[in-house]
Amino acid sequence: MLRFVPAVEATADIAASPAWVTGLRRNDAATVRALYQKHFPAIKQCVLQNNGTASDAQDVFQEAVTVLWMSVKEGRLVPDADPGGFLYRVAKNKWLDVVRSAAHKHMKVVHNDQVLDHRADASDDIEERIARLRDVYDKLDDKCRTVLDQFYFERKDLATIATGMGVEEESIRTIKYRCMMKLRAFRKSISGEDQQAT
Amino acid sequence: MSNGALDRPTFEAIESYVLDRMDALEREAFEQRLAGDATLRAEVELERENIRAVELGGVARLLKGIAAEDGAQASGTNWARYLKYAAMIAVLISGAIWWSMRPSLNERLFAEHFTADPGLPVAMSATADPAFADAMVSYKEGNYAEARAKWSPLLQAEPMNDTLLYYIASAHMAEGDARAAEPMLAALANEGASVFQAKARWFLFLSCVRTGETVKALAIPLDADTTYGERVRLIKAQLQE
Repeated sequence: MLRFVPAVEATADIAASPAWVTGLRRNDAATVRALYQKHFPAIKQCVLQNNGTASDAQDVFQEAVTVLWMSVKEGRLVPDADPGGFLYRVAKNKWLDVVRSAAHKHMKVVHNDQVLDHRADASDDIEERIARLRDVYDKLDDKCRTVLDQFYFERKDLATIATGMGVEEESIRTIKYRCMMKLRAFRKSISGEDQQAT
Repeated sequence: MSNGALDRPTFEAIESYVLDRMDALEREAFEQRLAGDATLRAEVELERENIRAVELGGVARLLKGIAAEDGAQASGTNWARYLKYAAMIAVLISGAIWWSMRPSLNERLFAEHFTADPGLPVAMSATADPAFADAMVSYKEGNYAEARAKWSPLLQAEPMNDTLLYYIASAHMAEGDARAAEPMLAALANEGASVFQAKARWFLFLSCVRTGETVKALAIPLDADTTYGERVRLIKAQLQE
């Protein structure tokens, strides 16, 4: 019998994973907040030292956390990966991309370790994937986002969402189905365009 | 992958599989279906991707929220720091203002030791001088200007009346006009026969202290007085420090 890629959270090694990995798999807000509080200061300092602003630091750090989250979800991290090192590397590389862009040609970059020198990680394809998924998410209207976000990201049950929105549970179930069908239709239209192009 | 609609039961079955909400038997049965159904496999991958896209949107929202909280906290911290500095500056400014505006030693000594004379007892029905008594009532009520106005005609009639001189001077002193009181107090201070001499010297001494006439104050012979001597010596010592 064929075995398929395990379902998103159906990983056999969850119990053996570090708490932060388990937390990211569950979209746990406290885990994301803890990563932010622990690792953002170092990245902020790095960006500020290299002609960036606190706002720039926020942008690259949020991108780095997103890459980390996606890597965990896709099972792309080695089990003992250091989240701080990962975030630092990705954020620095992202900031280097900005610094090297035309708008920042004349900036002097402070090199203080080897991780600045090249993009050695394999996050590029993850980032492309993130960009594609964002395009998909952008197709949703606010109502769909509200319902789907609570169900798939926050992992609330239908009854809780329905109570919060003051509607029947069945209504939420229907909205969820219709919204997901919109995404499916969008993806299929893209797929169709791709097939026609080839 | 079918381009037609996906029915809701199939959609929800795929959802349960992707979200790992199937029990072992359901999962096994579903995977058996997958093994023989390429269309279903494609639908599973598509739904997995769509769910991931929604989760990605949630991550972005969560990160923005955390950053906003962090920014608010940092802003609050900065504001608190500025408030602390502002409070320190305010205290320093207040201290400087108090230091520059504080009363002089002479004024402080006057304020510490001066008490207005309480005046004489008045029994209107028994008094032989109702005009004087009427003015004394005004004096005792704290209406010092009114008392002086009532006593002045009496003083014009009796310019050397030590009682009138003393209480008109006392009224001036009570009103804070030491300089106006001084000529009358000086006259009484040299009047050895007056019962008001010691009191007049004490008020004259205090008047000189207040007006900064320290040399004049030090020269007033009151150190040995049984009533005022101790206070006079104390004040003189402080003036000479």
